[in-house]
Amino acid sequence: MDNKINAPTFSAKTKMSEIITSSSLLSIIERLNIKLGFGEASINEICRRNNLSTELFLKICKVYAVESFVPDIENLTREDIPEIIGYLQRTHKYWTGSFFPNLHSNIHTMLDSCDGTSKRMLNKFYDDYDEEIKKHLDYEENTVFPYILSLIDSEQKNANSYRIKDFEENHSNIEEKLQDLKNIVIKYLPESASQQSRINVLNEIFKIEDDLNKHSIIENKILIPLVSKFE
Amino acid sequence: MSTKHKVTIIEPSEIVSAGLKQLVEYGGNFHVVKIFKSIQDYSENQNGNPDIILINPSVMNIGDTNERNILTTKDNVSIVAICYLAYNEETLRNYDGCIGMFCTQEQIEKKLQSALKTSSDKEQDDNSNELSARECEILTAVAKGKTNKEIADEFNLSIHTVISHRKNISHKLGINSIAGLTIYAVMNKLLDVEDF
Ligand SMILES: [Fe+2]
Ligand SMILES: [Fe+2]
Repeated sequence: MDNKINAPTFSAKTKMSEIITSSSLLSIIERLNIKLGFGEASINEICRRNNLSTELFLKICKVYAVESFVPDIENLTREDIPEIIGYLQRTHKYWTGSFFPNLHSNIHTMLDSCDGTSKRMLNKFYDDYDEEIKKHLDYEENTVFPYILSLIDSEQKNANSYRIKDFEENHSNIEEKLQDLKNIVIKYLPESASQQSRINVLNEIFKIEDDLNKHSIIENKILIPLVSKFE
Repeated sequence: MSTKHKVTIIEPSEIVSAGLKQLVEYGGNFHVVKIFKSIQDYSENQNGNPDIILINPSVMNIGDTNERNILTTKDNVSIVAICYLAYNEETLRNYDGCIGMFCTQEQIEKKLQSALKTSSDKEQDDNSNELSARECEILTAVAKGKTNKEIADEFNLSIHTVISHRKNISHKLGINSIAGLTIYAVMNKLLDVEDF
């Protein structure tokens, strides 16, 4: 077991209904395609019904629920890999399909009340960030995930020279600019920008910053080490 | 406070490091906590958390930011060169001071004191939440797209000092990307929009 002092005490035997205490834990359920209506069933029981490894489920929950928790890959198997990728892909889909377009329109509303220069620069800043996100996710979806899935699918060694190490080395940080944007909105936007529109943008950013962070932890600390075991 | 300042030595020659230790500690203000023979040696061991690192420039390529970063994991550490021979000015500008083979004990004491001063100035800056005049200048240069090396040349600073200023700027503003810093600079009229 992990030795974090502040780790919430949930385990395989905990009732599933008891750990759904925040929107981030709820979104894990959603992204793993687990249906609500748990009754009194334990985490173990629900995972079994959904053909999902309890170990993996607990690790993902702890990444979200426990501040600065760093997961390891102990007790995870080859069979968990497609499940992890599915989880990551559904997260990407939520970001690109709903979250970022929404943030974008909120930013537009906010910048409408700014003067020419700030408006132009921040628009460009956000467009560049948008592009950065798109590139990051496209690379994972079109290069990394297909590579991994074909690797664990076929018994023989992969013919092309791509390795998970290439992902590790190129895995960019998509949180930095969002933090910059957040601080610019909190600290430096000219007074002409409407208060309500700023608050809307900030609330959106608060919703996503943790999600981005935890997502990277799952990629860097679970997916990459686990895949490299099977190369 | 009368606590001694901690010094770490990185020097391949045992004769030189033993001699230096004697002279550095003689005045009672400095204490040599660790001696290493090479940069690898240094990076693989506890470095003793020094206030000053005395280092023979021949053990490292100071222009190499990776190696530089190994030395400056702690903020406000001063780096002083141990010089057997005359290094060119360009190289020495990357250090907060330089001790030669013919320095007297008093001269060494003075040089270490002034190297410390450079870093306590930095600490003073840190205590203010606002950017200092120097930080504003450096921020403007960063926003214009200048590299650390170009900024060091322009303001006659060591690259080490430029990096330390940049860390402080980002820390104060909460902005890390160059694009974000540029927006700050324009919004605060440090930079004209026409500049880019
Ligand atoms: Fe991802
Ligand atoms: Fe990623």
